[in-house]
Amino acid sequence: MNFEKILYELKDQIAYIGFGFNSSKKMNVLDKQTLMELRDVFGIISPAVEEKKVVGVIFYSLTPGCFLAGVDINLIASLKSEAEILSTVEEGHTIFNMIEDLKIPKVACIDGVCMGGGLELALTCDKILVSESDNTVLALPEVKLGLLPGLGGTYRLPRRIGIPNALDLILTGSNVRAKKAKRMGLVNEVFAKERLLEMAKLQLFLRPKKLKRSEAIEKMIMNQLLVRKFIFKKARESVLEKTKGFYQAPLKILNVIEAGSACNRKSGLAKEAAGFTELALSEQSKNLRHIFFLVEGTKKYKGEPVSDRTKKIKKGAVLGAGTMGGGIAWLLADNQMSPLLKDINKEALELGLSQASSVFSKSVKKKHMTEEEFQRKQRSISPTLDYSGFKSVDLVIEAVVERIDLKKIVFKELENYVSENAIITSNTSSISIEKMSEGLKRPERFLGLHFFNPVNMMPLVEIITHSKVSDEVVRQMHAWTLAVKKTPIIVNDGPGFLVNRIMTPFLSEAICLLEEGLSIEQIDRAMLSFGMPMGPGRLLDEIGFDVAVHGSEAIYEWLGERCKTTKLLHQLVKAGYLGKKNSKGFYHYNEQGKQLGINEELKKLCSNKSCKISEESIQKRLILPMINEATYALQDKIAEHASTVDVGVIFGLGFPPFRGGLLKYADNVGLVKILADLKELEAKVCNKRFKPSQYLQEMVAQKKNFYNQ
Amino acid sequence: MNLNPVFIVEAKRTPQAKAGMELKDVQAPYLGHYLIRHIMDKLGLPNDVIDEVIFGCVGNPVDYPNIARVIGLEAGLHKKVPGCSVHRNCAAGMEALAQASIRIAAQRDHLIFAGGVESMSNIPLLFNKKMTKLFTDLFKAKTPAQKLSAMLTFRPSFLVPIVAIQKALTDPFANVNMGMTAEILARDFGITRMEQDEFANRSHHRAAQATQNGRFKDEIVPLIYGKKLDHILYEDKGFRADSTVEGLGKMKPFFDKKAGTVTVGNACPITDGGSCLLLASEEALKKYNLEPLAKIINWHFHGLEPERMGAGPILAMDGAFKRSGLKLSDMDLFEINEAFSAQVITVLRGMKEKKVADFFGIDTVWGEINEEILNPNGGGIALGHPVGSTGSRIIVTLLHELMKRKGRYGMASLCIGGGQGGAMIIENLKR
Repeated sequence: MNFEKILYELKDQIAYIGFGFNSSKKMNVLDKQTLMELRDVFGIISPAVEEKKVVGVIFYSLTPGCFLAGVDINLIASLKSEAEILSTVEEGHTIFNMIEDLKIPKVACIDGVCMGGGLELALTCDKILVSESDNTVLALPEVKLGLLPGLGGTYRLPRRIGIPNALDLILTGSNVRAKKAKRMGLVNEVFAKERLLEMAKLQLFLRPKKLKRSEAIEKMIMNQLLVRKFIFKKARESVLEKTKGFYQAPLKILNVIEAGSACNRKSGLAKEAAGFTELALSEQSKNLRHIFFLVEGTKKYKGEPVSDRTKKIKKGAVLGAGTMGGGIAWLLADNQMSPLLKDINKEALELGLSQASSVFSKSVKKKHMTEEEFQRKQRSISPTLDYSGFKSVDLVIEAVVERIDLKKIVFKELENYVSENAIITSNTSSISIEKMSEGLKRPERFLGLHFFNPVNMMPLVEIITHSKVSDEVVRQMHAWTLAVKKTPIIVNDGPGFLVNRIMTPFLSEAICLLEEGLSIEQIDRAMLSFGMPMGPGRLLDEIGFDVAVHGSEAIYEWLGERCKTTKLLHQLVKAGYLGKKNSKGFYHYNEQGKQLGINEELKKLCSNKSCKISEESIQKRLILPMINEATYALQDKIAEHASTVDVGVIFGLGFPPFRGGLLKYADNVGLVKILADLKELEAKVCNKRFKPSQYLQEMVAQKKNFYNQ
Repeated sequence: MNLNPVFIVEAKRTPQAKAGMELKDVQAPYLGHYLIRHIMDKLGLPNDVIDEVIFGCVGNPVDYPNIARVIGLEAGLHKKVPGCSVHRNCAAGMEALAQASIRIAAQRDHLIFAGGVESMSNIPLLFNKKMTKLFTDLFKAKTPAQKLSAMLTFRPSFLVPIVAIQKALTDPFANVNMGMTAEILARDFGITRMEQDEFANRSHHRAAQATQNGRFKDEIVPLIYGKKLDHILYEDKGFRADSTVEGLGKMKPFFDKKAGTVTVGNACPITDGGSCLLLASEEALKKYNLEPLAKIINWHFHGLEPERMGAGPILAMDGAFKRSGLKLSDMDLFEINEAFSAQVITVLRGMKEKKVADFFGIDTVWGEINEEILNPNGGGIALGHPVGSTGSRIIVTLLHELMKRKGRYGMASLCIGGGQGGAMIIENLKR
């Protein structure tokens, strides 16, 4: 029998099953056909086992760097009804059970990515062998898509590595590398990838190692009902704390694993199938999968194809060693770009270095990097007070003070020192890229590259174009942003570009509410319960009041009355309130920067009127103008599509992922209702700030959604 | 064999700091790698055009058996660029330059990074022989009984460490501490305590003055330091601007404690630092459009009795003059490393006094070295002596000062533990 997706061979009575057959893709997935072929292969193997013609099974991959990346996400999306999902999951269970029940030893040889369904398949084997390569990662990431491992993972993993380890893996969806996997007992042996198959033949018939005494005792304790109950109680508490109760999947996972831990395979898997089906149908999972596709979308560049002759971006430089400059220097150093870090005084350089160092130190503490790597990477930063060495730089990122006259002088200077091919970028958050480009002799190699603070935490990078930039440079920066593991969106020049423009009404509307007599705690609480990572008050503390005023004024100048800034924030800045940085913000903070109580002193300066307004109304007051502003941005062609907006707000503002993004959320609510609510606010609260865009009104008139479906 | 000229394209060094101070956490390779990277960036050279990396290091750290290779890789040079480490005690850095020069002169290589590094802060303590034997026995032991019997041999004295740095500063042949060699010279030639302290005092003041006037700015590349690597060292540390002869006079002799004249104050401190030069052939200058700063004219190494190693420069300079055909009066600047005041004073006398020259078997009295052109920015006593680096560090300092003075020829020389002297003459091309 011939198969298209898997290579089946029988050698020396051992059945070899290779994934990635007839495929040139980088990643293998368990799609419908692969699953069916797997079923058919074992239809052949099972009788042969009875006849003693097959004595062992070895799974491996023909694709270097990938065993199986999981179940095809499109397969899940294609299943619509409850019955359809349930039957597909059950079919999967049947195939995996058949493999597990085979009375001969089975070994999975894993080199590279092994995720989701791939790992669940490996769990049906007697032994898992992995390569020691850095690419080898094992994970059950379903939770990130609002799902649970649906091919026996919730049942088999706890039995293999114990409940605490299994919960950790399944609830976080985090990656496990070879060494750690061996330590937790997920894999049996680690070999060089070239030796995997050869060793698998030997391992097939070696008896598994006995448990160490300590491990046996641990296992015995874990099997106690009360101990298990305690573990799940603790896990539940920690999940609720981390997700603030917004996410359904982790809780469902806990329930399924807890129920499954006390019963046999048949009912355990039945519970898993039911749980999976429920989650797969949920709005949340659909939203999270929607984001997954959005992120995949950011990886494709829609412009001209790659030309081979482009110079590789190897060496970077940062101008201005402030908080952002230091953060960007960290990013460059972490990505082997030995950056030059230039500023005009020594103190600033040391500040930039300490910024980078503190991020690296955290990685060292978490054991994500060794002290030696820290030394190497931190020392790869060359602090400098002059332009020596800029000749060798491929990419310059400017992060000096936000003043266009200053920036223009800097660029003029810079152009004398860098090579012809060097790309020059600005990390401005408020100055027009178009205007800045006028200061350059060769504007075609210049664009905006807007990072978010803190650089190591915030995945988003806005790539801002202007009229003279070359396509090649945009394409190069898109590829580079991905290469440094950030999420790029390409936007046009405009006030606040995309993300800050959408953020502005979120902040200014909060100040309006404050003036109307609401307390900042009320406002922040309402937004936290909407799912935002922080409320507008806390966010203003982080950004700095002066920076916020500066930014919103620039936007006001550009966009007019709709974005008029409120008096209160100006007054606060004048009174010396700048936020967290000078310890005069809405809240008090401890030395580690953790939020403590409210700052009563500031509270007194706010309105003493008291007013009552429901949490839902507060949310509407803040979210609706954001949606509205996003449609203005689409109307002004700042962003090409709603997906750009949603990637921007999720990865730049922390808009709650389970809501699928700002405009996906608008779709889910219904644009008719959004428009009606906006009009109501326009009539009742302010006829300027809530004035719906033409774009939105036309969409409603044409019965369109942001995402067709 | 036709010998080709050898050019210096760049010459840089780290700031220097006393061992155990600012640079104590900087591992030796990191005192060199960033100098190479700085020079590469500055010149805009592709990373694969270098032919060799040669570095000297005296207390070569156990983690980096061939430190030059590590420096080359850490600097981001292409992995195909080879590296070798050289050793000639205090002149290891000069030896690196000498070897690089020969290769370029012989047209085998065209671009070579040569220099030296030393982290004297990181020279380790070692287990003594008895403890090492115990470890070996334990390792060999198979049965618990054997293990136990090995362990029972333990005595508290096993824990007395060998201080590697002390060993390194003691001559293994003559069994004389370096400080004692200076003491011997002082006795031989009647050099007084006052003379030594005055010389040391001048070194401190010159170094302080030079630092204050930014005289070292062009040669120092600032270095990242500190536990968190968030501080930048721009200048040498350790010299004392407030030094006085009286103050130095109060210090007790360190080596001959009863009747000696050599104190910690008129000797160089142990120090951390690195230095690095890029040498090029004429062909490379043209090919990569590089502008040379100087030319290496000649050099000479010479041996003498280990217990009088401090006089080494007399013999080395004599040899360098003879090899180059130049005279003392041709020199516009001298950089003679100050290991000890007594030792430099001996050298100065050996150049001008027939009696001293005769003592060391030299047939030429070269003349007096004017103190205005000797170590005008201070020397080892104030700036320190990172042993692996000093041999090339004095060339870096010599070259930059020579350029500032628009002088032509400069001589760098130093005494070498083990009983040697080294000397090198360069010609400034940026006059």
